[in-house]
Amino acid sequence: MAVIEYEGATIELDDDGYLADMNTWNDTVANALAEREGLSPLTYDQLDILMFMRQFYQKHSFFPIVHAVCKNVRQPGDCVSDEFMDPVTAWKIAGLPKPDDEVIAYLKR
Amino acid sequence: MAETADTAAEQEEVLTDQDIVTGAKEPSLKPADVKAPELTGDIQIPHLVKGAMAKSKCHAAKPETMEAMGFPGRLVDNWEEAAVKKLGELLTKYKSLQVYLDICVRCGSCTDKCQFFLGSKDPKNMPVARADLLRKVYKKYFTTEGKIFGSLAGAAKLDLELLGEWYTYFHQCSQCRRCSVFCPYGIDTAEISMAAREIMDSIGIGQKYVNTVLVKLHEIGNNLGMNPKALKATMESTEEDIQEEDGVAVKLPVDQVGAEVLLITPSADFFATPHIESLIGYAKVFHQAGISWTLSSTASEAGNFGMFIGSYEHMQKAAMRIRKAIEELKPKRLIVGECGHAWRIAYAFWNTMIGPLDNSLGLKLEYPRPQHICEYTLDLVERGAIKLDKSANDDVIPTFHDSCNVARATRMGDRPGGQFEIPRALINAACNRYVEMDSDTIKEKTFCCGGGGGLLSDEILDVRVQGAMPRMQAYHAIKEENGANFFALICAICKAQFTKVFPKYGIPMIEVGGIHQLVAKAIELGAKE
Repeated sequence: MAVIEYEGATIELDDDGYLADMNTWNDTVANALAEREGLSPLTYDQLDILMFMRQFYQKHSFFPIVHAVCKNVRQPGDCVSDEFMDPVTAWKIAGLPKPDDEVIAYLKR
Repeated sequence: MAETADTAAEQEEVLTDQDIVTGAKEPSLKPADVKAPELTGDIQIPHLVKGAMAKSKCHAAKPETMEAMGFPGRLVDNWEEAAVKKLGELLTKYKSLQVYLDICVRCGSCTDKCQFFLGSKDPKNMPVARADLLRKVYKKYFTTEGKIFGSLAGAAKLDLELLGEWYTYFHQCSQCRRCSVFCPYGIDTAEISMAAREIMDSIGIGQKYVNTVLVKLHEIGNNLGMNPKALKATMESTEEDIQEEDGVAVKLPVDQVGAEVLLITPSADFFATPHIESLIGYAKVFHQAGISWTLSSTASEAGNFGMFIGSYEHMQKAAMRIRKAIEELKPKRLIVGECGHAWRIAYAFWNTMIGPLDNSLGLKLEYPRPQHICEYTLDLVERGAIKLDKSANDDVIPTFHDSCNVARATRMGDRPGGQFEIPRALINAACNRYVEMDSDTIKEKTFCCGGGGGLLSDEILDVRVQGAMPRMQAYHAIKEENGANFFALICAICKAQFTKVFPKYGIPMIEVGGIHQLVAKAIELGAKE
């Protein structure tokens, strides 16, 4: 467990750098997590992607497929990789729990 | 400064035997730092670098994972005794293991055949040297000459250092069995590596990646941990994609009782890129052939990592989900999607492990049980039941990478060599411009992708990149020579491994894809003449 400070906010992360409680996520937290990945400040397009991932996760307890993300936020088919390098990084900035090893094996670039 | 030194010293003191064996307290590899060698098109036998890979260790499974698998949570106190006892059991259970340990004559034929040796230069990655890590323990405890003459007879006590070498080097073997092809005695080094992993699990030091995936498979029904709700949502969204792209209502049915075909495919096909493109290909084939088919939300995985850790029990437990799905969904035919080790398990194990797969389960006897998707699709093409427009793939110059388990452990169709000919015939039916890589690197002599056998985790990306080297050289050569630009595969692990390592070698990952991805592009959908 680690605690980081960002623009006056205190943010708790797990040992792998994922947000400890996904419900504490907001724009500030997203930017704090993005900065750790070298991606801040976040654009509106990026935030749209993150919001969709969170909605899908809340509904299905799983990762959405990349196609579906881009289609739903009306962005080009490679939007996740273009905007975040890889889907796992996007997932992390979206404040969602660490995915299983196999998901990382198939998605992490 | 003084404080740092103290802390370091303290950390040194608390290293347990388990930490020493698994390298748990060593700094982790940074995937971004892994560099690939330059591509020349030649596969050179390297000068040896002793211990080059000694520090490349996969992460160890957490105690809760090990316990969920029925193994001790951590390295047991009497591990030497327990390991020797387990080896004794395996020697009785698998006579082949004892034969392989006994008959090696050190001819050296295998030494330069392993991609992990060729890529890493580490002599312990020569198949004979890797096998010797177990063989010398066998000699010490189970042979008269080893008991009497010790190291003079090539025997060695299983100490902490040797156990550490087991953990390192038996997790740098992808169990691809290329070495076995060249062994004049046919020693199956994969079986030795499986036995070593089985022994290590039994004394409490298991690999994290494979064991956590197996726990997930037992719990949810697939390696990814994709629950039925997410699977259905994903299939619906993929149906919409196909509708938008092709204007045809191709379905991806889940849990349809009474469908003609039950398709068992790796869960990566539901989810990852480029895997999902092949899933779309299968769906289009079934659609156009007019065959009803279904996926199962509870047997949503063809892969079965039980084999990688040599555990018959876990293999069987995982495979039983498929039998249950057959009983519930009552299909007439069983077809397996693009996956290497899964096809080995389906082809060589299912009938005895969860079968017999016959009319007692409602399966029709006139079809292969199970049947590979490539054989199924090629048959439809040859009978004219579906049509492929090759010109749709005219921008593609494909070559085919034989997956090790398909090439060296199975067959397709009714003729010897069908596992080589059928995938190639299907690519040729879908494309005009097929090219073949160097004959020393294909068919039964194919190189492993470097990620099979449970090595597909990032902390050993150095092993994976080096292991891919021979295949990358062969692909580079055919690119230079014939302009190849598509690397066709029939294995989920190969697809994941190559999309990761291609960029390391300076080749775009978009060149990696499945055979049914080509079929998906070429197939003529719509009303039949």
